[in-house]
Amino acid sequence: MTETSVQTSAAEPAAKPVSRLERLLYRSEALRGYLLMSPTLLIMTIGIIVPFLILVTMSLWTRDGFSFDATLTIANYLRVWNEPIFGALLRRSFWISGVATVATVVLCYPMAYYVAFHVHRNKMMWIILMTLPFWTSYLLRVFAWKVILGYEGVINSGLQGLGMIEEPLSFLLYSKSAVIITLAHAWAAFAILPLYVSLEKIDKSLLEAATDLGDGPVARFWRITFPLSMPGIIAASFLIFIPTTGDYITPALLGGPDGAMIGNFIQLQFGAVNNWPMGATLSIVLMLWIAAIALVFLFITRQAERRVS
Amino acid sequence: MPNFAIFGGSEEALTKMRGGFVVDVSHPCNQALPRWVSTGLFQQIDTSRLSNWGNVIPEIIDLPGNAADGGNVWMAPFDWGQTSVTYRTDLFEVEGEESWDMLWDKRYAGKLGSLASGADAWWCGAIKAGVDFDDIASDEAFEKIAAVMREQRPLIRVYTDDTTTLEQALSSGELTAAMTWNSSAVLLQSEGIPVKFAKPKEGALTWVCGVVIHKDAPNVDRAYDVIDSLLSVQTGEFMIGEWGYGHSNIKAFDKFDEATLQGLGLSKRPFEILEAGHFQQPQTQEWETRMNETFEQIKAGF
Amino acid sequence: MSDGTYIRRPNRPLQIYAVIFLIVLYVPVLFIPMFSFNDSIYVRFPLQGFTLQWYGELWTREPVWNALWNSVKVGLVVSVISTVLGVVAARAITRYRIPGKGTMVTFIMMPLVIPGIIFGVALLVLLSRMGVPLSLYTVGLGHLIICLPFGVATLLPRFEGFDPSMEEASADLGENGWWTFWRVTFPMVFPGVVASLLLTFTISFDEFIMAFFLTGTDPTLPMYIWGQLRFPQEFPSVLALSALILFVSFFLVFVAQRLGRAGLDNGNT
Repeated sequence: MTETSVQTSAAEPAAKPVSRLERLLYRSEALRGYLLMSPTLLIMTIGIIVPFLILVTMSLWTRDGFSFDATLTIANYLRVWNEPIFGALLRRSFWISGVATVATVVLCYPMAYYVAFHVHRNKMMWIILMTLPFWTSYLLRVFAWKVILGYEGVINSGLQGLGMIEEPLSFLLYSKSAVIITLAHAWAAFAILPLYVSLEKIDKSLLEAATDLGDGPVARFWRITFPLSMPGIIAASFLIFIPTTGDYITPALLGGPDGAMIGNFIQLQFGAVNNWPMGATLSIVLMLWIAAIALVFLFITRQAERRVS
Repeated sequence: MPNFAIFGGSEEALTKMRGGFVVDVSHPCNQALPRWVSTGLFQQIDTSRLSNWGNVIPEIIDLPGNAADGGNVWMAPFDWGQTSVTYRTDLFEVEGEESWDMLWDKRYAGKLGSLASGADAWWCGAIKAGVDFDDIASDEAFEKIAAVMREQRPLIRVYTDDTTTLEQALSSGELTAAMTWNSSAVLLQSEGIPVKFAKPKEGALTWVCGVVIHKDAPNVDRAYDVIDSLLSVQTGEFMIGEWGYGHSNIKAFDKFDEATLQGLGLSKRPFEILEAGHFQQPQTQEWETRMNETFEQIKAGF
Repeated sequence: MSDGTYIRRPNRPLQIYAVIFLIVLYVPVLFIPMFSFNDSIYVRFPLQGFTLQWYGELWTREPVWNALWNSVKVGLVVSVISTVLGVVAARAITRYRIPGKGTMVTFIMMPLVIPGIIFGVALLVLLSRMGVPLSLYTVGLGHLIICLPFGVATLLPRFEGFDPSMEEASADLGENGWWTFWRVTFPMVFPGVVASLLLTFTISFDEFIMAFFLTGTDPTLPMYIWGQLRFPQEFPSVLALSALILFVSFFLVFVAQRLGRAGLDNGNT
């Protein structure tokens, strides 16, 4: 679905205006550019910056009955730091999302590889075939997994039918693994597409060159294909890891008591627990952690890439 | 056809309304009523505009915090019932009398279910812990209830407010017993599943719920129409027959004989039932928040 | 096509993997139409027999249609706005030398790297502080924020990929800017526009996490489905509707595919 060209084409040609006339043109061009960008920027400002400023402010408030005590304090942050539950929920969310992300990327990679290298006719058909399931409601797909993993679900009935188990397996549903399986399935399209795009872009002559130099299929894969598909792997990881850490529907429906994630707790603060400032604090903490993890991940992959090349 | 917005619990609905969500009517229970009224988000109900008001059982109108000016009320009572244990008679072996201990029975660890909202579960925990509802707000009560809830947590397979999930799990044998309202037991029985709605020796949790009108309700006339039809005999018969809930219209009970009503845990004299159980009492917002916070942490395993 | 010979060789294990992959991908999704024909209000095995009852009932379920219509309205408005703004922004990014461009693009792409729940919560806080009542407009605003980056991301490569000299040539021929845009630029980026419209509509149509916080009394379809998950009586009609949506989108995609190929063939001859 996404051809995330998040690259910012940062290397702009350094325009060195020579004459005053050119400088004016340059300026007016920038001005026109700004003008064109302004509606988008305006909406993004209203939609991102302003709410975030208020979110940060509110995270420094405290709840007072049904309203707020607007005295600025870091009490909420101290609570998040001191009470073990919040750290544990964050770790659990990152663990679940992390495993789901790795599983999705690993499972989708061969598929994307197959379509990129071994399908020669009707490639588009294959891509459509792989993305069509994601046109159905996310909620219903999650719900479908409840039916599959359930006590009388497909897996249990199947295994019982085959006589492999006496009692239905109860650990399938209401567990971390249920959440991981469902997330991996629900977000597969977000792995397949970036992986496919990056694999498709690989210059086939490089592979031939490697073969000519005596590389076997395995060596060829690890020396050429894999490093060159790294951008796709990184994009897929981000596109899956980040949204899933904030998911609360899948854990709510399939996670059971041990599968609750930080998203469930954020949602509760704005619902039953009714502590908006705490909810704001948890959101900010979640965001900072994601940013930190993303930076570390980027740093490591950059290092790895550098070492390879 | 009216539009519905369904929330995980009434607290969630109230939070949403505090955030500017405007509806015509909503459906709180007696325990939440004074807190709801004190938010100033609701308007008094002019009972003279309700043709069925004369048949509403007086005792369940006269709830703490319900009286408004000049005979008006804040909430038109609509349904009442119990929260208790629904269990599989074939799968759950009752030791001695039916009791709340059933939901703390280690023999059925991983085969027990519970409602997720503190508005039910915490109060049931109080009954189990032997806390008198008059003292439920004390620190000591908090600790006692929290302790029994923590003890129960590892035994529970699923906490959910989705009663369908609990019903299906009971019908498949995934759960042998679960905390439910009347309707779950009635529904399962009608499908021929061997379940019973327990009459715990400590008493069940009892409540009355009703309808309130938002102060800025866009369609006040429609709101009155809706309330009046909810209070009608037809609705009442449906509520009793199909769902097993008590209704507020005394005439709705005429279609049912005493034995049927008893089987459903109901009576034409609701207070017999409500008093025999543990009737929920209004609490402060502070209490509500503290309770929800504690209970959510316990459910998450802390 | 300079594929190496070894690539041409079919890879059996990989082929088998691909088939299994597709089966696993499709099974959960195919449950939806399957249970929409099942003669029971409960979604569970074993299947109870074939019925078209839920499709019949669907016509009488006004709230389902309201919710669908709400989602379509929000989706259409959001996809059009984010695509138009995306075209404008992508053009500005690729055609003009703007100082601070990198920062601005990063800023626009930010929603891609922030979980939806955080936007939902932040907007809810903002709107409630401003006293703005929740409605389909607030849902639309939320969706716009997550759809805009997808619009821009889809359109950017299109604008990057085409040769600005085409525009210059048109301008040299005396066309004014507006004409140049319609006659030269727009046809070149048209596939990107279609892709952006489709993508943003799909995202908005199925978005739940933000809608949960921002919906007022008018539910979007996912919100409605969420409410019905716990009411078995209404749920089969939800399945029926979702199955219909699935059939229609399959159909549309295949038609689009056929038309696209036909168009390509004509273009090539």
